[in-house]
Amino acid sequence: MPRPGFVHHVDRSTPPTLFWRGEGFSLERLPADRSRIIYAPEPLPAIDDIDGSIRHALEHPIDDDPLSSKMFPGMKLTIAFDDVSLPLPKMRRPDIRQRIIEAVLDTAAAAGVDDVHIIAALALHRRMTEAELRHAVGDRVYDAFAPRGLLYQHDAEDPDALAYLGTTPHGEEVEINKRAAESDLLVYVNINLVAMDGGWKSTATGLASYRSLRHHHNVHTMQHSRSFMDQHRSELHKSNWRMGKVLVDSGVKVFQIETTLNTDTFPQPFDFLSKREWEWSARDRAAFVASSKSLARTPVRLARKIFHSIEAPHQMTSVQAGAVEAVHRVTTEHVYRQQLVEVQGQTDILTMGIPYICPYNVHSIMNPILVMCTGLGYFFNLYRNKPLVREGGVIIMTHPTLPDFHPVHHPSYIDFYEQVLSQTTDPKEVEKYERRFAEDDWYRHLYRTSYAYHGVHPFYMWYWGSHAMQHAGRVIIVGGDTAAVRRLGFTPASTMSDAFELASDVVGRSPTITHLHTPPLMVADVS
Amino acid sequence: MARDDRPNTGAASLRRLTRAVAPAERIATTVGRLAGSRGFPYRAPTIPVGVEVPKEASRLGADFDTDFARRAPAKAARSVITNGPVRLMVKALADPQIFGVDRLDDLARREEPPPLIFAPNHHSHLDTPLMTVAVPEPWRSSLVVAAAADYFFTSRVKGTAAALALNAFPIDREVTSRASSDRIRALVDDGWSLVIYPEGGRSPDGWGQAWKGGAAYLSSRTGAPVVPVFIDGTGAIYGKGSKRPRPGRTRVVFGHPLTPLEGESTRRFSARIEAAVAQLADESAHDFWTARRNAARGATPSLTGPDVTGWRRQWALSEQRRSSQAGLRRRQKRRWPRLD
Amino acid sequence: MRALQVRRNPGRFGLARLAAGIDTRAAVRMGPLEYVRIDPPDLPGPDWHRVRPRLTGICGSDLATVEGHAAPYFDDWVSFPFVPGHEIVGDTDDGRRVVIEPVLGHAARGCPLPFPDAAPGDGDDYAHLVRPPLEPGIQIGFCASTGGGWASELVAHASQLHTVPDHVTDEQAVMVEPAAGGIHAALMCATKVVGVDAPVVAVLGAGTMGLCAVAGLRRYLHGVRIIVGARYPVQQRLAKALGADEVVDPAELPRAVRRAVGCHMVGDHLSGGAHATIDAVGSSASIGTSLRITRPRGRVVLLGMPAEVRLELTGLWHRETELVGAYTYGTETLPDGSRARTFDLALDTVASCELQRLVSATYPLADHVEALRHAAAAGRRGAVKIAFDLRSSQEARR
Repeated sequence: MPRPGFVHHVDRSTPPTLFWRGEGFSLERLPADRSRIIYAPEPLPAIDDIDGSIRHALEHPIDDDPLSSKMFPGMKLTIAFDDVSLPLPKMRRPDIRQRIIEAVLDTAAAAGVDDVHIIAALALHRRMTEAELRHAVGDRVYDAFAPRGLLYQHDAEDPDALAYLGTTPHGEEVEINKRAAESDLLVYVNINLVAMDGGWKSTATGLASYRSLRHHHNVHTMQHSRSFMDQHRSELHKSNWRMGKVLVDSGVKVFQIETTLNTDTFPQPFDFLSKREWEWSARDRAAFVASSKSLARTPVRLARKIFHSIEAPHQMTSVQAGAVEAVHRVTTEHVYRQQLVEVQGQTDILTMGIPYICPYNVHSIMNPILVMCTGLGYFFNLYRNKPLVREGGVIIMTHPTLPDFHPVHHPSYIDFYEQVLSQTTDPKEVEKYERRFAEDDWYRHLYRTSYAYHGVHPFYMWYWGSHAMQHAGRVIIVGGDTAAVRRLGFTPASTMSDAFELASDVVGRSPTITHLHTPPLMVADVS
Repeated sequence: MARDDRPNTGAASLRRLTRAVAPAERIATTVGRLAGSRGFPYRAPTIPVGVEVPKEASRLGADFDTDFARRAPAKAARSVITNGPVRLMVKALADPQIFGVDRLDDLARREEPPPLIFAPNHHSHLDTPLMTVAVPEPWRSSLVVAAAADYFFTSRVKGTAAALALNAFPIDREVTSRASSDRIRALVDDGWSLVIYPEGGRSPDGWGQAWKGGAAYLSSRTGAPVVPVFIDGTGAIYGKGSKRPRPGRTRVVFGHPLTPLEGESTRRFSARIEAAVAQLADESAHDFWTARRNAARGATPSLTGPDVTGWRRQWALSEQRRSSQAGLRRRQKRRWPRLD
Repeated sequence: MRALQVRRNPGRFGLARLAAGIDTRAAVRMGPLEYVRIDPPDLPGPDWHRVRPRLTGICGSDLATVEGHAAPYFDDWVSFPFVPGHEIVGDTDDGRRVVIEPVLGHAARGCPLPFPDAAPGDGDDYAHLVRPPLEPGIQIGFCASTGGGWASELVAHASQLHTVPDHVTDEQAVMVEPAAGGIHAALMCATKVVGVDAPVVAVLGAGTMGLCAVAGLRRYLHGVRIIVGARYPVQQRLAKALGADEVVDPAELPRAVRRAVGCHMVGDHLSGGAHATIDAVGSSASIGTSLRITRPRGRVVLLGMPAEVRLELTGLWHRETELVGAYTYGTETLPDGSRARTFDLALDTVASCELQRLVSATYPLADHVEALRHAAAAGRRGAVKIAFDLRSSQEARR
């Protein structure tokens, strides 16, 4: 019986707590009687008959007709799927997307459909490599569709491949992939890893262009999304939902298939990483000592390779299909069922260990900008109602924050770090440089032909943390490269106690502390 | 001096004991001190106040775990002796490429994976060892293969070797007696998975033969799902009538497990399994999407080949073999007909 | 008089070269430079004047000589023993405060001028530089007959003297010679930027010469976007103050140029690049970088004196890049068509751009070991230009 998440109040008998530090981890002691640790709920059991559940969902959708009834010979069918940024870490084969796409194709074949395109809905993310595509959709689908050019990646910079569909009442332009817009049916295959994903965001963001995205990927929207894991308090989602209405009104027919995963994140023998420290067996402790010692001696490149090859044993806990909004309501319930933890009140300090991976550095390097985005963007926003740290409090993160950049995946990030961050770290000032990066011809070329994130992407990473930057009084990174941390506009500290010392002139000498013991993922319901 | 004047032997022996144990004791205290000074994670964690740690289930008595006997060490012992050579031989001769194993993932993830009945097409004696290599865990270690009684079990030596190396059991090709089918059912009920060839014997001419209902019948009686399997290339490597095997490449494609529908007759179920294998053949020769569309239209190429006789059947077979991914590695030397 | 003199002694040149890698002080002590008592030079002729230096700068070429790194090329163009020092502001016997244009040109050597009003550095035949009656020497500071700035007296021809206006301080005046070199290099970029839409000029190296080039670019080429690669914080600050649009670390310069121009990258070459690049460093690496970041048919101006370098020139051939040396000053043609002497432009520039900021420290002649050590490590030690201050010894003698 999986136990729910809970808040543990640290006392003198509490053993030290695990903190992630990029490609490594450490144990830190939190001060007794004024610290609390939030542990995620244990993973829910996965569905037994996944293929059967998928078939059932396709034939018994929510608020919509069965998929087989929507297919007819001669139709234009487009299947769009979430890209390599999900799930984290990558799943064991067969991936959920493979199962669903094969089931949809079975239905399509039975109905005599010939014209099928399969598109990776990556918006302005990088293109996926062949190996990554094969992992996501499976070899059978890849070998059947890719050689014919029917399995490809969304290109947001190809004017011939985009269709402008209209504007929302707020003046937000809606422009998405043309093939998707003009199909008789668009089937979207989604993985809802966190509550931010899914719903209209799948199509309105995943298949959109810069012209559309800039209307909600900006500082104002992010500062008013409190948080973006909570659809009803999120300006990001309100904008996407408005765009969804434009999509519906202009005749785009979307059949949304959403899935949720349990939080079984770490394979043996690393499952101690999600366990409560006082429940570590002798074998777990040995594994911790062995791995943290050997990782300290391993060169960073090799350590990255090892970590990025981890395949998580997480599996599907629910699948629902049909009308976008109705489906998403059910999906969100499932996500919260797995991830929600009740927390009382805020504290002065929020600590978190930043792991080696975020959605934007799969098989890649976590550069300082992504460290900020993971901590202040994602982890800070894992809340409903109120942030875990009080306004003006201190956020402490642990990560080596090396100024290393992947030259193929993140070329515009290097220029962002050198040119923009050396001038300013204020998100509103940073926004002034956005246009030039978005329209640079070289970045556009790399996005379209190489495996690079779009020129504007580092700006989005910065905006993701803009609410946290506004909210917190100070941000400290423990164990990070000093020059890089300062470039980000944060305070470097060598040890946790130094960090508390540095925090004391903002929050005093006896602050209350919350530690977010993540991964595995969770959402704190703060009252 | 009287005997009683000697010192107290109890204290002396204690002292001797202490002296003897001293070095070991020194090591033990040093280790203890080191471990103690380090704390968690070198030492067991202290439990915080007010928290309940779940107790681990008892492993003695009735719950004694005997799985180990069916797992690695015991199997390793067996495999070193028998399986190792078999696998090496298969890999050398047949270089197998295995597809579709992910279709069995749902069953593999269960707490107690059910036994399966694998139903491949049959072209060569090589099919049987190939299956023992291709079938994934957890079924491979509890796999029994049906082997032709009148080939593998004609002598004690051959029979013992087949039973040991391949975990084979004898099956009559023409008529399946009641006793042997009961024996097979008992094996499945015990949790063993089966490889059984619905065609009965190997193909005589390279094309498939008519399918019999053995696998379908067993499945409906035992409840074990049938997994259609397509094997390609073994016919070219060591088909019926070949004197010796020639090394080549093979493909094994697993399909979705099938269970008989409510009230479905054995004949219908068997036809469904045969159609599934034909679709796998189509998928292997072309691709997944083509195979699905052909299946929907009823245009899946038949395993039994064109409806002609004589040389045109052979001709069509060589066409098909030439375009296939499996088969002999080197192209056959072209034999020019002698015209004089 | 007391002077620093360089004598011909191959052994000591070699020793200096070896020692320079470890420690400048050792190199100076073991090297060919000596602090000696010698007779002041005689006036070679009627148009010659005696000059008593107030401030004399230490230049990169002087350092190279002292540390034994001078190129063998110069062997035929200098005469030993000579007193180094060519960045001079001093007093003449008739009470004028002058800066010296050090090139020993046609007038100084009594040769006919190449064209009317030619400056000492003009002309396309250098034969006069080694013709009698003077000893061979490209300029004051490398010639046995004239003496040089690192002494209390030297002689100079009237054509080499420029009166310093009263509002120009001594520290500004000692920067006139390097500023002239920088302005000359800046104006050599003119052909590539005049009439061009949004021109970009990159400058590698922000020591004295690089900073003077920046000042020249900003002052005389209007509308140019100047991107400077500077390693040390004081250099970065001064480059910005002198008018550079963007100042970056040298490793980041190619990307900064790419961003400004908006071109692509092919391998490690920019597909386009800066219209002109001024290399004020002169090493294999810097020239290589300059060739990679200059657009096809652009111009690379070599301002820093290079020695023997290894270069991959295929890129230069393919991109039809111009690689030109910028040695010295003479008569310039400005973008608006007017002509002016570089030294006149420099006198104007040192005052209006406040180039005295570049003089970081001065030393008396007796402290020459420390002075040269400071000059060799100038960037690292937060300095730009080091000079000898001879005013106190003048006062003492008066």
